[in-house]
Amino acid sequence: MSRLLTAVVTTFVLLGLWQGYVWLSGIEPFLLPGPIAVIETLIARHELILRHLGTTAQEIVLGLLIGTTLGIAAAILIHAIPAARRIGLPLLVISQAVPVFALAPLLVLWLGYGLWSKVAMAVLIIFFPVTTAFLDGLRRTEPGMLDLASIMSATLSPFRRTVALMLHVRIPAALPALASGLRVATGVAPIGAVVGEWVGSSAGLGYLMLHANGRMQIDLLFAALFVLALFSVLLWLSVDALLRRALPWQPDSFAR
Amino acid sequence: MGVLPGTSPEASAEGGFGLALRGLSVAYGARTILRDLSLDVPAGSTTCLLGPSGIGKSTLLRRVAGLIDGPGTVQATDGRPLAGRVALMGQGDGLLPWLDALDNVLLGSRLRGERADRDRGLAMLARVGLADAAESRPATLSGGMRQRVALARTLMEDCPLVLMDEPFSAVDALTRLRLQDLAAEMLAGRTVLMVTHDPWEAIRISHAITVMTGDPATISRTLKPDGQTPRAIDTDSARDHWRQLMEALGEMA
Amino acid sequence: MKKILPLMLSALLLTATALPVRAADKLTVLLDWFVNPDHGPLYVAQQIGAFERHDLEVTFIAPADPNDPPKLVAAKQAELAISYQPQLHIQVAQGLPLRRIGTLVATPLNSLVVLADGPIRTLADLKGKRIGFSVGGFEDAILNAMLAPHGLSLSDVELINVNFSLSPALYAGQVDAVIGAFRNFELNQMDIVGKPGRAFFVEAEGVPAYDELIVISHRDTVDDPRFVRFLAAIEEAVQYMVNDPKGAWELFLAANPDLDDELNRRAWRDTLPRFALRPAALDHGRYARFAAFLEAQGLIDKAAPVSDYAVEAGRQDGR
Repeated sequence: MSRLLTAVVTTFVLLGLWQGYVWLSGIEPFLLPGPIAVIETLIARHELILRHLGTTAQEIVLGLLIGTTLGIAAAILIHAIPAARRIGLPLLVISQAVPVFALAPLLVLWLGYGLWSKVAMAVLIIFFPVTTAFLDGLRRTEPGMLDLASIMSATLSPFRRTVALMLHVRIPAALPALASGLRVATGVAPIGAVVGEWVGSSAGLGYLMLHANGRMQIDLLFAALFVLALFSVLLWLSVDALLRRALPWQPDSFAR
Repeated sequence: MGVLPGTSPEASAEGGFGLALRGLSVAYGARTILRDLSLDVPAGSTTCLLGPSGIGKSTLLRRVAGLIDGPGTVQATDGRPLAGRVALMGQGDGLLPWLDALDNVLLGSRLRGERADRDRGLAMLARVGLADAAESRPATLSGGMRQRVALARTLMEDCPLVLMDEPFSAVDALTRLRLQDLAAEMLAGRTVLMVTHDPWEAIRISHAITVMTGDPATISRTLKPDGQTPRAIDTDSARDHWRQLMEALGEMA
Repeated sequence: MKKILPLMLSALLLTATALPVRAADKLTVLLDWFVNPDHGPLYVAQQIGAFERHDLEVTFIAPADPNDPPKLVAAKQAELAISYQPQLHIQVAQGLPLRRIGTLVATPLNSLVVLADGPIRTLADLKGKRIGFSVGGFEDAILNAMLAPHGLSLSDVELINVNFSLSPALYAGQVDAVIGAFRNFELNQMDIVGKPGRAFFVEAEGVPAYDELIVISHRDTVDDPRFVRFLAAIEEAVQYMVNDPKGAWELFLAANPDLDDELNRRAWRDTLPRFALRPAALDHGRYARFAAFLEAQGLIDKAAPVSDYAVEAGRQDGR
């Protein structure tokens, strides 16, 4: 109960600071509206905002699921197959280094203006964090565990031994690292979805924000922004809780 | 100390064999760790490799295990290949933190894709006195308990050759003594090659003590204390052995 | 005594030369978008020295987001901006303290564009089709007005935000038509890549005519004397462009050498007749009609009096 109370109090304090800044600085409402105006708009147009939230939320979650799957597969392949490593590692770095907005129009061209170009953007953004984190974990498997497992599987063929070690030792040992990557990915996936919407869309919070901006409806812009931020936080907390439950053996100083 | 109550000494394993190590050399880059090392490890008894830290004992053990390659041969005295007949117990307990004690004991069959014999696994845990801990994760067990699980796992593998690399160095002195007793009892009749830096440990539980010294490492001498293991160490012969070992290690004039 | 006089004289001369010549007033103008032939008079004015003659030193800044300049002017972070009349009506209705003080392009440039050899022959053919737009804020009002005479409404079409890649969306076939395409630009672009387009001009399809590009300032600074001089310099430039179009193009290129390509050449040719010959002049009726149109379309609540948001800079009788 006290955690909920703390969260509520913190929110109020932050909103208070926001409103205080707006009053004291006298900043124009079309640059930064106060929280009261934003909340009024949020309530008045909640149907519109929630509808667009649904679209963006879909893009984010799908992006996370697909991106995570691809990232896990890529990390395993890069680790296990030297040829895959030679091609895969540079590609991995490129996927991170290329600014997404440069690729966004291409994605929209290939995948259309609907859901999938935004999902692709989100996938692109989270691919690197997920893959590198998991790959790091795979690389850092304790040699002692590997020695033991090697001896125990000495009668297997080299291929079956590699698979056994990967499946029973390396992957489980690397799961905490993967979890770290997933936490990062959950934090940045919303960016991919929204940037995708900015490039071309007919729905979503990013689209709504652009529209509101074009019509100088800045309070609607901030209302949409606020909802997006809230969703992102809730998503992150959910993923974090899920991960903690999935990895009960991993010591976690956040665990109560 | 002595044997844990309620257990009985392990019967001699069938198909026991000794080891013939010939001309083993291991180098890491420009540094030669072992040069042309040869040793006979008798079947069915415990041989300790004693030497100062960093001399290459672990390297030798890993070479014997086949984890590293190099010139020289490692042969079983019955001429058959070693793969599948060796069990390893390392410095850390090597327990996988995401599996409970029983699943750790059953790790070998899991890796090999065989059906796990849960009853036998539980029996092994019972033999080391941890039947109640079967569903506990390693993080909830003490250091000594974890090493006992590792010992149960080693027993589960039921291999005639057991290689151990300072397996009891990470626990406190009292637990170490208890574990030594347990190991001596559980591994009786198997061919054991154990690495240690503690002369007392060697005196307590081995049938032959091989001293390694020098750079690159060579065998300087071999001692064969008599009597049943685990031995008492407050006897004259024990103190005698200790003096001889310290001399061999170059610690005494 | 005799020696002191020459000394005093030379001292006087020295101080006189040390005094600065009457300094030109600095002025920063935010453009609406990246530099393009729509900004012809601005750069021609610079090149023919019109700003200098009016004691102005003008700097132009191109924004990355066309929505920023009006906000910056309204927040007094910029003095003048080039903006759009339709947006001005909406911005003022949202409370931004802006004023139109001059006009740059005196006709609409907006149009609905389709592929010339495509299936859309009349606006009625848009039923059930996808229309791309870049965010302007009033494209649905325009579309409503254009579709209504053909018995269609917004619910008969699908609007897709393609941001600023209007023509690519069209010739990639991802949309059937685009609105918000500038007729002097998009049509030429499509022609050059070999996929010519056909335009429906908004003012010919039921939308009141308006000024596509205007000069705006903050409400409180409309009487800044620099602004009058600025518009006077622009007027000189437009006259020059009318009298010597070729020479004017060369001057524009001199200021913007990277715009020397076929697209910009064609755009220049098509924009030339559209520049306001009298930049400072204001057609009250025109602005009132467009405001009424936006009100009827529901984009603004109530059309305010024109003088609330549009003035003629430098009007002598204070009205």
